[in-house]
This record gives sequence, structure tokens and C-alpha cells, in this order.
Amino acid sequence: MIGWKRTVPRILWFLVLLLFFVLTVYPVIWMFFGSVKGPSEFYTNSWGLPEAPRWSNYAEAWVTAGLGRKFLNSVIVTAGSLLLLIPINSCAAYAIGRLKFKGRGLIYSFLLLGIMIPSGVLGIPTFTVALRLGLNNTYIGLILVYVAQAIAMGVFIMRSFFISLPRELEEAAMMDGCTRFGSFVHVILPLAKPGVMTQIIFNGLTIWNEYFMANIMLTNANKLTLPLSIANFVGQHTTNYPMLFAALSISTLPAIITYMIAQKGFIEGISAGAVKG
Amino acid sequence: MKKASPGKKKIDLFPYLMCLPAVLLFTMFVILPFIEGLRVSFYRWDGFSAMKWLGLRNYVNVMGDDVFWQAMRNTFVYAVLVTVCKNIIALALAHILVKKFPLRTFFRTGIYMPVILSYVVIGVLWSWIYNPTFGLLNGMLRALGLESWIKGWLSDPRIALFSVVAVDVWKWIGYHMVLYMAGLQAISADLYEAADLDGANGAQKFFRITVPQLNSTIVVNVLMSVTGAFASNYDIVNVMTGGGPMHATEVSLTYIMTTAMRYSNMGKANAMSMLLFVFVFIFGFLQLRIMVRDDIYD
Repeated sequence: MIGWKRTVPRILWFLVLLLFFVLTVYPVIWMFFGSVKGPSEFYTNSWGLPEAPRWSNYAEAWVTAGLGRKFLNSVIVTAGSLLLLIPINSCAAYAIGRLKFKGRGLIYSFLLLGIMIPSGVLGIPTFTVALRLGLNNTYIGLILVYVAQAIAMGVFIMRSFFISLPRELEEAAMMDGCTRFGSFVHVILPLAKPGVMTQIIFNGLTIWNEYFMANIMLTNANKLTLPLSIANFVGQHTTNYPMLFAALSISTLPAIITYMIAQKGFIEGISAGAVKG
Repeated sequence: MKKASPGKKKIDLFPYLMCLPAVLLFTMFVILPFIEGLRVSFYRWDGFSAMKWLGLRNYVNVMGDDVFWQAMRNTFVYAVLVTVCKNIIALALAHILVKKFPLRTFFRTGIYMPVILSYVVIGVLWSWIYNPTFGLLNGMLRALGLESWIKGWLSDPRIALFSVVAVDVWKWIGYHMVLYMAGLQAISADLYEAADLDGANGAQKFFRITVPQLNSTIVVNVLMSVTGAFASNYDIVNVMTGGGPMHATEVSLTYIMTTAMRYSNMGKANAMSMLLFVFVFIFGFLQLRIMVRDDIYD
């Protein structure tokens, strides 16, 4: 039934999409292929499937580059930041969104200044402050910086969830004997779960992948996060590419696996800050 | 709400306590560094010994620095190219994908994938793809018989910047595509039906309906691409080229970092950070305005 005039463009569009799909996905798949190839196979068979997967590359990368420790560092910094920033942002956003008090607009505008000051501009100045406070080369220093830089967007997102909830909720909770803080934690916060998820996904991914601030603040080999050690690894082991690719895969897998499982939530979470516009 | 009677003057501390941690941390690690950065920009300081007042000499020094201007020019070229390419390609793909299309989710999932990878991983991966002797790109050109197209993608100063830009575009197309898809889905189908009745062709519909209706989505995407290019391209440039060859890919952030970390000139590095802020401020301000535009505030 469908005529040529409709079919031909559709096939054409399909091919365009396919081209972009291959262009984006193939390099990533190729990274995983490369990570299980032998040192010489990497050069002779650089395009295709590995002949016999060498999983030992992973063990080798894990040991040689001390990735276990780096992995743990990344987990500590990412989890620590999330554990701090979720309550901090939620409390502030709740007060700004649902309580009436003097200076509310001022505090909100003050925090939103953060959206105008990107971390690139803050890099060296933050290093200067952290230096004076003795916070360089510490987990807590990096965590506090990550949390502080996530406040503006986090408060903005959480507030938009809080103001959308009906006004009567707290009153009902307080009639049931909840304190004000209790009604926030037990009644309002659970209803803003999508906002919390958005923050976890967006900030979790950003911090897991963060390189710029970490590169400025961490020099102690025991404290390096994964992106830092991968970047250093390149300089030190440029000859052993399969091992390097195994290291790349290790640092990427947590994000890719989460993405595959929660693809829809991921895309929404990462785009949330912009969709508001 | 009729809780406190107007006569009662007792200040309720609860809301302030709720805001306190956020305000404190934000002040300590965003506002204070900013002020401290501004202060240090007036001094000579290596990060350890005593500071020496220089007045505006750091700024004068920056203004007369050829590498700084080259870095600024590269940053501008980078920003313009990245913004144009990301937005045109993303809008085109979104336009195709937004219709009922076989394997739609499959395509979307795949094209979005690089968004979740770190710049470091992507930078290392693409450095290898660009590798002149063993890399995929030259290998492919060789296989296609296009020997004359083979290049030192990252080692040739004339094209290195474009090679890095291409990777940045590659990473973010999926992100902008998803935002454009959301924007396109929000346009009422009635508008297109009415245009069909009037006999409008595809191009007319695109420029008379789609573009005006997408206005705010386009503005947000453009602003994000621009601020990204100015204030977050350190990772990828540093990993792929380190600003070389011969400063061909030097951008403002890589030069700021080199000045601070390798030359230990904190004063000059902070002065450049402040100048960079002046450039991105206007874009950030516009983005903020759009975000809070339709916020109901009582």
C-alpha cells in the first residue's frame, strides 16, 4: 500500500540512523574487543572479534595499575558525595520550596549563582582555597568540592518537585503527630523520589567520571580516582594496549551496566536539568 | 496559612537550619574560591612562598601573552564548531527518530551511549582510533583505497583541533538529540495538519512551525554547547593532545592548568580564570534566566 514516495525516504533515513548508530557504538564495542585480544593480535586483527578472548588482560590491568585501590577510591568519593549532597540539597530545597520565611528568595538566588559559575572557572581558585585549608589530597576535600558544585542544580531540581506537591500534606502529617522535620522526611521526601533518583544518577555519573577537579586536587598515588589513574596509565604503559583497554573497560563497566539496566531513568535523569527550559 | 499571629515577632529558625548546610558549603567551596581567585589574581604567588602584590600586572601580562590569545582563538573556534555541529546533527536525528520508526529505542539507546562515558576513556579510545600507523581511521581509509586521505589526525597542527572537536561532537550528539526529541514531541500535531491542508512542503513546515516552536529548546541546547566548550573541555584536550602540537589545540583551560601546575604561576592562572569567567558569565546568566523563567514564585 505504501507508495515509493514514502518508502524511499524512510529507507534513506533508516540508513542515516544506522550510520550514526554504528559510528557511536562500534568504537565502544571495539574497546571491549580490544581488551581481550593478545598483544600482537591487537595490531594484526585490530578491527574484528577477538580470536580467543584473553580475560587475563583484566587481571593483569587490575594488578599492574593497582586498579583495585583506584576503584575503591572512586567508590568512596562517589558514594561519599552522594550521601552528603542528597540530604543537603533536599533540606535546602524543601525550606525554599515549601516554607515561608524572610530571606527565602535571597537564599534561593544566592544558591542559583552556582549555575553561572562552571567548575572549569573554579578549578585553580578552588585549588588555592583547598591548599590553605589543607584539603588537597584528601577524600573529604574532593567530596566537599563535588557536593558544593552540585548544590545549585540539585536545589533547583528538588525544589521543582517539592512545589508540585499539594499544600495540605504537612498539615495532615503534623495532625498525625509528626514533627516538622518528621513530616518532611517521612511524607514529603518519599513523594519526591524521582527528584532524588535524578540527583543520584546525574551526580553519580558526573562524579564517577570527573577528571578536572580530581586532577587538580589529588597527587598522592593512593588517593587517585579511576579517571586519573587511567590517564596516568596511558603515559606509563603505552606499549601494552590490550591491558590499557582492559583498564578502560573496567572503569566504564559500572556506568554501562547501570545504563543498560535503567536506560530510561538514566536518560531522563541526565537530561533533567536542561528539560526544564 | 494562618499560623503565627502578626504580633508575634519570634523568629522561626527551622527554615534557616534547613538551608544552613547548603549555604555554608556553597559559600566555602564556590563563592570563597571565586573571591580568593580574584584576590590571588592581583599577586605573584607560586602556591607556597609569600605573596607579592602586583596590582594589574598579571592581567597586563596575560593580555600580552601570544599563547593565551592563541588559546582563546582556539576556544572560540572550538565553541562555534562544536555548537553548530552538535545542534544540527542532533536536531536532524531527533527529527527522524521522533516519528514512529522501527528500532527507535534501539537507535536512541546506542546513539546516547557515549554520553555516559568519561572524557578520559573517550579521549584514550579516540587517540588510538586516530593513531597514524595502527589506528582504525587510517586503517579504514587504507582499506577503502583512500590513501591520500591518510593523516596524522592529532599530530598535524592544521587539523588536530578539528579532530578533537569531532570527538566532543561524537560524545554529545545523543544528549542533544534526546532534548530535541522531547521538544519535538511537545509540538502540537494540529499545527502540522493545518499546514498540510494549506499545502505546505516539508521545508516550509520545518522553518515555519518546527523551528519557532522549538525556540526555547534550541536556545538551551546552544547555551549548553557554548558553556561546555568554554568551561569543560579540559579533560578531552588534555588527554588527547595536551594542548599540542605547538599549541594547535591549546584551549583556555589547558593553558590555565599549565600556567598553574607546570609554571607554578598561580597569580596569572587565576587572572586567566577570571577572564574566562567574564566570557562564560553571559551564557550562564542567560541559561539561568531561561531555567527560572516560568518558575512560579510566591
